[in-house]
Amino acid sequence: MNKMLEFGTPYFPILIPESVKCGNLPSAVAKPRICSLQGLLSILRKLKSTPDQEVRILLLGLDNGGKTTLLKQLASEDISHITPTQGFNIKSVQSQGFKLNVWDIGGQRKIRPYWRNYFENTDVLIYVIDSADRKRFEETGQELAELLDEEKLSGVPVLIFANKQDLLTAAPASEIAEGLNLHTIRDRMWQIQSCSALTGEGIQEGMNWVCKSVNSKKK
Amino acid sequence: MGCFYSKKSKRKSGEKEEHTSTGETSNAVPLGNNTDEAPKQYSWDKREKVDLSHYTLKELKDVTVGRLPGTLNGEQFVIQDCENCNIFVLDHSATITIDDCVNCRIVLGPVKGSVFFRDCKDIKCVVACQQFRTRDCQKMDVFLCCATQPIIESSTGMKFGCFQYFYPELAFHFKDAGLSIFNNNWSNIHDFTPVSGENNWSLLPEASSVLDFVPTPDPESDFKSVRISADPSRSIVPLTKGGRRKESEESCLFVFFAGEYTTANARKLIDEAVAKGFVLIQTKEVLMRPEDVKRVFQNSEDDLVEWITKGPVVALELNGDGVVEACRNIANEVFSATKVFVSDNKNTSTRDVDNFFNFADMQMGF
Repeated sequence: MNKMLEFGTPYFPILIPESVKCGNLPSAVAKPRICSLQGLLSILRKLKSTPDQEVRILLLGLDNGGKTTLLKQLASEDISHITPTQGFNIKSVQSQGFKLNVWDIGGQRKIRPYWRNYFENTDVLIYVIDSADRKRFEETGQELAELLDEEKLSGVPVLIFANKQDLLTAAPASEIAEGLNLHTIRDRMWQIQSCSALTGEGIQEGMNWVCKSVNSKKK
Repeated sequence: MGCFYSKKSKRKSGEKEEHTSTGETSNAVPLGNNTDEAPKQYSWDKREKVDLSHYTLKELKDVTVGRLPGTLNGEQFVIQDCENCNIFVLDHSATITIDDCVNCRIVLGPVKGSVFFRDCKDIKCVVACQQFRTRDCQKMDVFLCCATQPIIESSTGMKFGCFQYFYPELAFHFKDAGLSIFNNNWSNIHDFTPVSGENNWSLLPEASSVLDFVPTPDPESDFKSVRISADPSRSIVPLTKGGRRKESEESCLFVFFAGEYTTANARKLIDEAVAKGFVLIQTKEVLMRPEDVKRVFQNSEDDLVEWITKGPVVALELNGDGVVEACRNIANEVFSATKVFVSDNKNTSTRDVDNFFNFADMQMGF
């Protein structure tokens, strides 16, 4: 049967058992129990997505910011047992027709000099901030400023996740945006998004912007 | 782009203790240079305002302070700028940062996320957490229960021992924080800034008694109502030898499968084995999949496969001459009605131990 669909067939009616779920097909097709094979074929052709576009995403930020938790959350994996990153982690995630290759790099002060090894060919930078670690706001602002000054990251859209909003002392995204002077960024697309990598809130909104920014760039 | 966050600029918003919704438009700061949608309302926008000072201990000197069970209920806690204090945080929390503290004795109840010490000196502490981190610290003695590999950075004189503590609510706090008493990586520390020829960290002497480092609270303090004990035999977290040198070449793997009494059974085994002079090296509580069974146990008996699907297993490594035979006897006498795995003989038991704990490390690493 599959082979026939591949190469197309002349019009003829086929019986579809009631038990077959046509969940993804338009209701005009789902309800009747008899539909044309030709009709099915044309619908299937429309649903088939174009080859996935690969997007390279770099995930940076201070140690203990929640980068790896975010990565695991994006991959829908268990986040209850995460170890401090000693080198880096990579995951590929499907999202909105894109294949996102996400590089999560350890953020300890000692290993930040290695971040530059990962800059090349980055499509989007995601910078994660622990919104509840007020003592290190200056430090994280400094690191972000240096990244935005990097030649190899020039013009790369940046999403800032104001993470750990689930914690009581978390500063709201607007306060963080103000403190980091984000509105003075002129040379690239940017967005700040409140989130909790632990609960998952805000993540999808951030990733929607990431996909939008990739589309804009590739036009 | 300049960075505004400096100690000089006093930001009014930094003093605020409530949460403002990102939906407010009067002082709205742009959330992007291309924002189409209005900001959404999240769970943190809707929660009640709290007095943040309840979740903070700062700028205290020469006092006994902390929080009693039931007063934090899993929220974040912040400790900073304390000197010569005895700090007892006897509840479970989300995450704790400890900054710029000197000469303090600290007990931190189970923490669901990370415990992060920065710029601290002369600290003696008892800590249970998922992640343990330090930066720019000196001279710390830590009795630790940590679910993942502890890390230190730019820190010296760091010493570690196995968590030993008890108070009545502690077992519940471990559960509330999502921490297993059987997953404790207290003895293998990763140093991000090793110095050749020196050790920034070491293990505390084996017989170290917690009370010599962190005494119980003053009987006149707020904590007099909490029945704390640092008796090793009462510790909620089993004492493990960890990375210390083993005394015998013979080890035995003993595994309990999921059930109502798994924890109690494991404790009973430990008591029986220790009473006979054997030593507990390490423990793990981990989920296994059917495909792991044959590889790990070298045995694909159908009922073993069935048992691992019921929940996580609890595995223990016991050590000492004659331990395998002793464990098999204990299994027959004490656990005849319980589903367990015990190493078959002392020639294959080392392989059992290696197979299991290598598997567990892989499962629980990234």
